[in-house]
Amino acid sequence: MKGKNNNSPWSLQFNTAALVLIPAAVGINYIGKLFAGVLKLPLWLDSIGTCLAACLAGPVVGAIAGAMNNLIYGLTMDPISTVYAFTQAAIGIVVGLMAYYGAMKNVKGALLTGILGGFAAVLISTPLNMIFWGGTTGNLWGDLAYAAVLSQNASTWIASTVDEIIVDVPDKIVVLLLVMGLYKNLPKSLLSLYQSNSKIESLD
Amino acid sequence: MAEIKVENLKYRYPYTEKLALDGITCEIKQGEFIGVIGKNGSGKSTFCQALTGLVPTFYRGAYGGKVFIDEIEVKNVEVDDLCQKVGIVFQNPFNQVTGSKLTVYEEIAFGLENFGIERSQMRKRIDESLALLDIAKYKDRAPFDLSGGQMQRMAIASIIAMEPEIIILDEPTSQLDPQGSEEVFQAVQKLSQKGITVIMVEHKIEKIAAYSDRVMLLDDGKLVDFDIPQKVFSRTDLEEHGVVPPTYTRIGKALNLRVSETDTYPVTLQEAEQLLAHRQE
Amino acid sequence: MKSMSLYEEKHSFLNKLSPITKMIYVVAAILIPAFAGEKMLAVGFMIFSMLLLMHSKVIRRTFPILGVSGFVVLTVLIIQGLFRAGNETVVLDMGPVAFYKEGLLFALGIAINVFNIILCFCVLVLSTKPSDMVEELVRKGFSPRIGYVFTSLFQLIPQMTDRMSTITDAQKSRGMETEGSLMIRMKAFLPLISPVIMSSFIDTKERAIALEVRGFNAKNKKTFLNESTKIPVDNVIIIILVVGIVCSIGWRIMTWLR
Repeated sequence: MKGKNNNSPWSLQFNTAALVLIPAAVGINYIGKLFAGVLKLPLWLDSIGTCLAACLAGPVVGAIAGAMNNLIYGLTMDPISTVYAFTQAAIGIVVGLMAYYGAMKNVKGALLTGILGGFAAVLISTPLNMIFWGGTTGNLWGDLAYAAVLSQNASTWIASTVDEIIVDVPDKIVVLLLVMGLYKNLPKSLLSLYQSNSKIESLD
Repeated sequence: MAEIKVENLKYRYPYTEKLALDGITCEIKQGEFIGVIGKNGSGKSTFCQALTGLVPTFYRGAYGGKVFIDEIEVKNVEVDDLCQKVGIVFQNPFNQVTGSKLTVYEEIAFGLENFGIERSQMRKRIDESLALLDIAKYKDRAPFDLSGGQMQRMAIASIIAMEPEIIILDEPTSQLDPQGSEEVFQAVQKLSQKGITVIMVEHKIEKIAAYSDRVMLLDDGKLVDFDIPQKVFSRTDLEEHGVVPPTYTRIGKALNLRVSETDTYPVTLQEAEQLLAHRQE
Repeated sequence: MKSMSLYEEKHSFLNKLSPITKMIYVVAAILIPAFAGEKMLAVGFMIFSMLLLMHSKVIRRTFPILGVSGFVVLTVLIIQGLFRAGNETVVLDMGPVAFYKEGLLFALGIAINVFNIILCFCVLVLSTKPSDMVEELVRKGFSPRIGYVFTSLFQLIPQMTDRMSTITDAQKSRGMETEGSLMIRMKAFLPLISPVIMSSFIDTKERAIALEVRGFNAKNKKTFLNESTKIPVDNVIIIILVVGIVCSIGWRIMTWLR
């Protein structure tokens, strides 16, 4: 998709097709989380929709999908998760940009996108964890690591960062690998719907 | 009065090689009931969407020829400039529910709000379309709680409330049970009686035969025939184009109930009966 | 009716208030204690929110929401009580580990903050229809397109999960294993969710068309079927809240300058 019609990845002029992707994306996030729970998987898997929407329609739609995702959680289940809207939005932006520059075409690229997305999440979530929770995440493994690092007399910031890396990075890598598989299998005709600026060729 | 004029319309979807529409030319007058038939992939849906401007504005791709609704050339305007003149309803009623409204009444208001219709006018139009589609009793229900047939009628009401002069129905009953289908067909007939131009794609060929003023037969993106139902359904090559003629036409052929002046066979029960009665005299 | 919204119509005072007023209340309840740097203010807002919720007869519905974060607060209490840097005063000695006063107080601060946020959010979400919230914002100039996305979520997500359960039943009846080792469960995940993902994305095309042909992109000024529901007391409350927020910001600046 790179460079086609000088479409900027940041274009805010997304069309209706891209916009209705957002409810679908949030729904998929929700279902992913639900099934990770049902299958007792040690991952969240709650950003599949955000990442897929970002791949299809770019970083802006990805960011909105991510933010809406947490807003809806905040307003229906867990108000505190609203503040993590920034984290989800950051993931959407990173994945959207990586996909725009063609990273989501192979396993290597997806892996890299997953790592970058994961660290973007760490970058945003850690300060939020510090402000709202004193640095922990509520995830068993992450918080055990937090306690372990802290007992080595390291600072809370370091402990919190380690905690968040354990919670986010492996999850995002798995999510992006899944997303790559799904993205490749979506019908091509669907992809064209999100490129609203593409030219109409003349047959006259 | 909205007239439709199509001149050598050609269209190709993005990422495809083949033309979905290939040189279609036709004219449709205000108030006509047009049945569109043809096998899957013959271009019926694409043709419908070309009349609303969704082809090419929404899909992009490659486009040639001209489509006029009155004096407006479809290609040159946005979809929302046209949709108060041409409405479209398609197969799956679930996907036509906006999801943002909590009652049927509010759902129908969606389009009117977008077009800035004033409140009292809005209420009047909603009440009228509820009555016309016979769903006034469900007006306070949640849209997703309706049955398929009711939901499809709500979708039609949402379009009718915008008072289009032309309504296009793209297989509106293909996902409905027999009762739901019947409800929708009755509603469509009422629209036609009100003078709205109806263009309907439908696989239930008996219905097309009964309602249509003219039938459009498409195959491979080309317009094969566009004539009164008796003519189209009496074609000997109909099945080669993937269409099975109505039961009464087949019976008529078997019994050789031919109308000699027009060289056609009957398409409905009434016609067949008349011809039989005539022959017995 | 299937909607994720927690809203309940109780014909209460909170129901009658404008969504905008309640949104400003949320902002005030979070910002004022934060700017003023005074935990007792957060406690005050907490109690006030609880009174409002009781008056609206929806306090019971806050319990499950408090429960979700309550568990996390508990882990914070344990971790900070045991490990917080600067822990000095032992409160509870349990042999190999000990709880410290400093850590526990820190955790208490977090708990107050968290529960205050939850309760003020509850004041808004338990008494306000999401569509009303968005409509008020759109009237004030918020993008109707983004507003649409937000409101539609409340109904479209339950629609998707419904369809999901149909698919799951189908997969299970075909003998898909959803129990067993981690590997087996991992392998089950993709076939379970990919059909629903594919069909949802394909459905978006039709929904986009359905919206477009109903003037979703129309450029003229929108009208609203429902009238705006502002009552006189709304203005009074808004003024008080805004003054409160401004004062707390002023206070913050003053303490910095000193």
